[in-house]
Amino acid sequence: MSYEQHIEDTLEHQESSELIPWYVNGSIGELDRQRIEAHLQTCAACREDVLLERHVYRSMAADAAVEYIPAASLKRLQARLDTLHAEASPRDAPALEQRSRGSMPWQGWLAASIAAMAVALSLLAAERWMQIHNRMSSPNYYTVTSPQARPPGEVIRAVFSPTLTLVELQAILGEAQLKIVSGPTEAGVYSLAANSSRPVSLSLSLLRQHTAVRFAEITQPNARSSVAP
Amino acid sequence: MALLAKHPPKGSDNELLLAIAAGDRRALEALYLGYHRRLARFLCRFTPRYENVEEIINDTFMAVWQRAKDFRGESQVSTWILAIAYRTALNSLRRQKNHAAAQSLAGCPEQAIDPMLETDVQDWLNRGLDRLPIEQRLTLELAYHMGYSLEEIAAITGSPVGTVKARMFHARQKLREYLPALGGAVAESARGGE
Repeated sequence: MSYEQHIEDTLEHQESSELIPWYVNGSIGELDRQRIEAHLQTCAACREDVLLERHVYRSMAADAAVEYIPAASLKRLQARLDTLHAEASPRDAPALEQRSRGSMPWQGWLAASIAAMAVALSLLAAERWMQIHNRMSSPNYYTVTSPQARPPGEVIRAVFSPTLTLVELQAILGEAQLKIVSGPTEAGVYSLAANSSRPVSLSLSLLRQHTAVRFAEITQPNARSSVAP
Repeated sequence: MALLAKHPPKGSDNELLLAIAAGDRRALEALYLGYHRRLARFLCRFTPRYENVEEIINDTFMAVWQRAKDFRGESQVSTWILAIAYRTALNSLRRQKNHAAAQSLAGCPEQAIDPMLETDVQDWLNRGLDRLPIEQRLTLELAYHMGYSLEEIAAITGSPVGTVKARMFHARQKLREYLPALGGAVAESARGGE
């Protein structure tokens, strides 16, 4: 085997030979370049390859004689883009239109909801205004002698101790011959009616004897029990 | 020798692509004009008909327009565009009837070109290149005309580095079969030129 043949059979030769095109076009890494150049010192076949490839490279790298004019091609590309855009737009437009049409009932419901909400808000505002108006026109507190909402038959209003049991309450009322017709209110006021012909003043006097009765007052001074004896 | 710039200013390409992603038609036109010549020269190796070259270029830029927002900057813009052009060209050829004819050219290497009958080495080379299978032809084109590195060609063609090396190896071998006298002529011209 000749020396040249031996060189060409080596892995180094094979690797270098494969990389010659990129050695020639100058894109190879520095390490590979050094390795190839070292190999070229000893390999005549690769040196010939490099000469041949350089020739091919120079021929191919040279500009073609034909000059391309891109303006006409670009116009055609622009026309395609316009078409693409136009195709996309009608597709979008009906979709939008359909979405728009499809949303009509929804928009109707929305409008109705808004109207309903507006009415509700108006009512709430009116109610609120009425509440404010009422508060302004009437005192914001309760009195046991308030004449409003007097239950029928009421003769006495009374406030009992909160610790009073129901049994004790019944005993007191039984003794005074009174009965509850309304209450207790938020202020703890009971409206009491006479359940006998006893004078109301006597019933009031009996109530006031009990320590559990905090307050007792006749609401109709001239009233007498309507209950038949 | 007027070797076309492999990589135009990176900033400008990236900026144009960003603008294209935002829907800027003027940026697309600028990129188109910047790449048309290189792509046309490259794609002429796929098909001799300029109408087809133009169609592939425009298909490529339609894809650029639609996919610009997907560009992640993992490669050079030029590599990305070339990769789109490469795939578009292959797909285009597969659709065309002459693809079979182009592929069958690989089966006629025995018909060597006599350089003595040619007046120009460039013509010999062009005829030899036309007889290579497309992938081999384009590997040569990407390396020698466009100046791409082994790794960049692998990225553009979506092939492993080993495959690119093998394509280049076979392309060179076949060129020598087609152009038996070229080696001697080159050697002579090289000696004369150095």
